[in-house]
Amino acid sequence: MSDRGLTGRQPGAVQNALAVLEAVSHAGAGVSAREVGELVGLPPATTYRLLNLLVGEEYLVRMPDLRGFALGRKAAGLAGGAPEPRLSRAAKEELGRLRGALRVGVHLVVFGPTSLHCADVDPELPLRDPYLLERHLHAGAAGRLLLADQPDWREVHPPSRLVRLTAETPVRPHQLQARLDETAERGWAAQAGEVHDDVACLAAPVRGADGALVGAVLLTGPRQRPPLEHLPAARGCAAALEPLLA
Amino acid sequence: MEGLRRRRLGFLEVLAQSVAVLAPTAALVTVPALVVAAGGSLAVPAFAGAALLVVLVAWCVRHAARRMAAVGGVYSYCARGLGPVPGVVCGWALVVAYAALAVSSCTGAALYAVALLAPGHHPAAVALGAVLVAAGAGLVTARGVQLSARLVLALEAVSLTLVLVLLGALVLRGGTPAEGARPTGAVLVDAVPSAGGAALAVLLAVTAFVGFESSSVLGVESRRPLLYVPRAVLWTPAVGGVVLLLGASAQVVLLREAPLEVLLSGAPLDGLVRAEAGGPLPALLDAAAAAAFVACAGGSVTALVRVLFSMGREGVLPRTLGEVRESTGTPVRALLVTLPLVALVPAVALLAGAAPRAVLSGAVTVAAFGSLLAYALVSASAPVLLHRIGELTPAALLGGVVASASCTALLVVAAVAGPWAGGQSLALVFAALMVPGLLRVVWLRRRHPERLARAGVYDEPTRRSVLRAEP
Repeated sequence: MSDRGLTGRQPGAVQNALAVLEAVSHAGAGVSAREVGELVGLPPATTYRLLNLLVGEEYLVRMPDLRGFALGRKAAGLAGGAPEPRLSRAAKEELGRLRGALRVGVHLVVFGPTSLHCADVDPELPLRDPYLLERHLHAGAAGRLLLADQPDWREVHPPSRLVRLTAETPVRPHQLQARLDETAERGWAAQAGEVHDDVACLAAPVRGADGALVGAVLLTGPRQRPPLEHLPAARGCAAALEPLLA
Repeated sequence: MEGLRRRRLGFLEVLAQSVAVLAPTAALVTVPALVVAAGGSLAVPAFAGAALLVVLVAWCVRHAARRMAAVGGVYSYCARGLGPVPGVVCGWALVVAYAALAVSSCTGAALYAVALLAPGHHPAAVALGAVLVAAGAGLVTARGVQLSARLVLALEAVSLTLVLVLLGALVLRGGTPAEGARPTGAVLVDAVPSAGGAALAVLLAVTAFVGFESSSVLGVESRRPLLYVPRAVLWTPAVGGVVLLLGASAQVVLLREAPLEVLLSGAPLDGLVRAEAGGPLPALLDAAAAAAFVACAGGSVTALVRVLFSMGREGVLPRTLGEVRESTGTPVRALLVTLPLVALVPAVALLAGAAPRAVLSGAVTVAAFGSLLAYALVSASAPVLLHRIGELTPAALLGGVVASASCTALLVVAAVAGPWAGGQSLALVFAALMVPGLLRVVWLRRRHPERLARAGVYDEPTRRSVLRAEP
């Protein structure tokens, strides 16, 4: 009954599971259980058991017709961290326009399936510590956009990683959950004093055509409240970046 | 299925839902005596048979639960396997079963709480208590299901240990033989039952397991539904079956030697404990039983409103049942519709003069009829579903056929050949309760076949959860 049913003592089972994963990856979304069995060369009952196991663990998902399979978001996590940022000149110009208009730091963050990367930091008003934002997704506004977008944030950022950076940082799952609910509801994220005592920030998401989160425009300033007065400008910039990033 | 709090519940919460509704403690203090009264010498085999049957059904439910997550639970599995008409019949049977289970557990909780606080005969107090328990269960359900999982599991663990230790101690000490000419329970315990009586005994033993499948309604709300739900659905009756079989066997041994009145009192375990052990033990037993019944009431209401919610969302029942309260993500409209019924049925029956134990066992028998019908349908639907998606194996086919045929046979024999007092009259009550659901199916088929076709919506993977949607 435990989650640790699979020990290192069943190399065959692990090999078969990986072979099934590989077969689905090669055959593409929508491959049926029977096809996977034929590709891998396993008996049907074993194939179905492995497929269901991998679906249960969310490395695979069943397609809406229940017949076909596709790689799940956890398989995406296996492929590794944030994408290498390659910004187009148009995107840089868009950010430059906003930087010229506002007196707060304007940064661009891009998201991988389960991670974020500070792709373009404001040269005049830089982030004090980009590493903190990339590592402590629960504290910064951009990280919360990513977590609020997950079906279950615990898989990306386990509760054991709710580190206290300041007195305001949410360190209990329910505190973070409340902030993520708020973020998901209004569509943007903000925080004050939760990463550094004297810094507040605001993040407006950049989404692809299918609604997937690809990046965020992040505004930071040395103040006690998030720069909410610049929310329309940040969202405008995010909207302008959509065709350039997605 | 927008509106419900998605993917919040961990495995313990999902397990607690099944355990709460199966309510092993409540089952142990009420069901064995009923089984002995109906099945006589076949009481223990009846329990074993019921356990095997239920585990087989659970195995079939597990096939579907590993492949789809749905708010309707077993109802949705059945609708996707056998099609909308059998699906809605199955769903309505579950609605009747969960409602009857809620009625019986509200009555049971009130009965044991009153026995704890004021021993004696107080039907009005029990009626009031049942209303209070129903209101409490409604409040907990409205607050959200996450509230009480750990509490439920801890309570069940403590009270089960208590009951099993008590029974073990009594068996080891040997019961008090009945004095002189007083008849012992052996008169009933060693009686050979008729075929109908035996079937009724198995049916009553199945009542001890009813609700094991209820965690399937948390498909949308659990964090990893395709992993947690099948696990909870299979392990709850498997482990529960062993515990119940032990407890029932011990009670049969004790009741054979105890005076006949103890067996006929309706609460033989209480009688046995009171006769053998003084001090706080009987009070502890009452408290444990009351707590288990409260948990069962909460769990039954949780499952009931989710099946109704699912039907409301699909348009199979009025759409207003599909409304959700924003702040808590609970199907509050379905709750408001059902709660008065759950509270008033036992209150009215008790105030009209029905004995509390009769209300308890009657409602639980109706729940067993509803569940068995749903089990028969869902067991049959599992192989069909697997065949449709191209994953049928010989074992799954055989299991589905055997489970479905056994459930159907048991249902028919208990309804047709069972004794009038226990089986047939309650089968009629169950049949009458099924009528509105059947009429609805006929009406939908004639007027709104498109709504019927939506029966059994499940949680499709959203685009976000697929890495590459295009081949």
